[in-house]
Amino acid sequence: MTAVVLDGIVLGLQFGLLGVGLTLVYGLGGVLNLAHGQLAVVAAIAAALALGAGVPAGVAALGGVLMAGLVGLILDASLMRSVYRQPTEGRVLLGLLLTLGVSFVIAGFLVWQFPIEALSLNIGGGAVELLGVRMRRGSLLASAIALVAGGALLAFFRLSTLGRAVRSVIQDEEGAKLVGINPASIRTFIFVLSAILAGLVAITRSMTSPVPVTAGIDLTILALVVTVVGGLGSVPGAFVAGILLGIVNTVSSFYIGQYITSIVLLAAAALTIVLRPSGLLGQRP
Amino acid sequence: MRAILATGALLSLVPLWLGDSRFLMGLAIGGLVFAAYAVAFNVIFGETKQLFLCVGALAGVGGYLSANFADRAGWPLPASVVAAALIATGLGGLFSWVAVRRSLDVIFTGIVTLAFSLSYANLLLGQRTFTGGENGLAVASGSETAIRGHASAYYLFLAVLLTYLAVYRLLQRSHVGWAFRSLRDDEQAAELAGVNVSRYRIQAGLIGSAMLGLAGALLAHHEGFITPSTYAFGHVDVRVLVMLAFGGIGTLLGPVLGAAVFTITDELLVGVGQLREVAYGLLVIVLFLFFRRGAIPALTSRLRRLRA
Repeated sequence: MTAVVLDGIVLGLQFGLLGVGLTLVYGLGGVLNLAHGQLAVVAAIAAALALGAGVPAGVAALGGVLMAGLVGLILDASLMRSVYRQPTEGRVLLGLLLTLGVSFVIAGFLVWQFPIEALSLNIGGGAVELLGVRMRRGSLLASAIALVAGGALLAFFRLSTLGRAVRSVIQDEEGAKLVGINPASIRTFIFVLSAILAGLVAITRSMTSPVPVTAGIDLTILALVVTVVGGLGSVPGAFVAGILLGIVNTVSSFYIGQYITSIVLLAAAALTIVLRPSGLLGQRP
Repeated sequence: MRAILATGALLSLVPLWLGDSRFLMGLAIGGLVFAAYAVAFNVIFGETKQLFLCVGALAGVGGYLSANFADRAGWPLPASVVAAALIATGLGGLFSWVAVRRSLDVIFTGIVTLAFSLSYANLLLGQRTFTGGENGLAVASGSETAIRGHASAYYLFLAVLLTYLAVYRLLQRSHVGWAFRSLRDDEQAAELAGVNVSRYRIQAGLIGSAMLGLAGALLAHHEGFITPSTYAFGHVDVRVLVMLAFGGIGTLLGPVLGAAVFTITDELLVGVGQLREVAYGLLVIVLFLFFRRGAIPALTSRLRRLRA
């Protein structure tokens, strides 16, 4: 049981990291990015190709993450700007539909070009004992990266000027403008950051299980579930929900079975919306 | 109503033109089914802005249940189809009711119904006894009837589509329709004017879901073999969105035009494989960025300008 729960926490940290990117973009502009998982796959495939070309693993991973960031930057400049120009009501729907289209374009292109590509980073070394359970080094490294990234994000939003500027735009866009913050550049920054986080998830996930070129939709849906349960727009909420759902996922698939587990996760999201739309840690709008 | 009759007359000529090519008639029937889905989605989303991302799933509820009622329980075919469609109606009505009661906005309604779609897909894969899992399910009932023929099935689905269009037009013309449109433009004003916004939303949800369940059930008996991908989100919902985006959300004939154009393009693009998905993605992006009103509104406004 301890082993299953620990595995759940390892998985949950990845879930949290995946949800944070989605929740930030939503909190800032009301856009639910349905191409989020595809950005992770961009990083995975870029890193896998670099690895195949003989680039050292660390450099390949970094290159993959930067590649996801670059694609994020291009998307923001080309499409997101015109989404944000819409009034709030139209924005939500247009954002959903456009990012769904983007998701198709990226997935279609990658599967066409690299139909069997997958990223799996093999972290060598033997198993490590933790709480009486033997854990793989890959799991521990992945969790450490997720924890550091999550801690850095929280510190960034609480302590740095830029982080406070982001929070001010989330709370009150007009007020932020009045004190000299440019919401458009803050949104670009957050969209790129979210893409980089998605890329990072692809790297850490590939340390425990391969990330194939077709993983995008599943990753997007996972991110969606985590974000909804944690509360749309809440960074700590995404991590709490991620860890919770990670544990639920491993326990349920260990004792019941995989297809019921998917249904349990989806039901968690649907029930959260119906019973507590603000999620675990989100604020009521 | 004249527009519907004209469409019906035009579409009823298609079998004469396609002759008895089994392949082409199959395509044409597929186009009719998708047009019917798109009209149903139009009733729910186009009229009352409830984003039901479970078009395929509700059709699948109709299809799989009807197949099981007829083949396993031995019910007569019409009873199975009606019972399955009623259950789909109940489910869709439930989603609408929850969305209205909890006043969910577009995005939350979308997520709840998407969660249902994906759960249903998982359930289809898991419940092998009733669904055959990913290997699919052979549907025996209907095999000796007209529903399996080419021309007869074509006219059956054409009749279904024309009925849906007539129901949609009647809805638009009735006082219910005026209410629909007033709430779409300004919900608060509609409520202040005494329009029961919630009731109309739920009515639209019920009617649209009934249409989906019925079309899905008939499709199962027509095809004689269904798999989870027959009703999958990626296969049905995404296409319906593209069709409506092209034809025009909230228009009477937009879904029909969209389905026709899409069915033909889809077949032309069969050779390019994965690039087809890229093309659809680009199409969605371009359509929603530049032609948000769709082809039918663009055409009618051009016609009006020509006449003036």
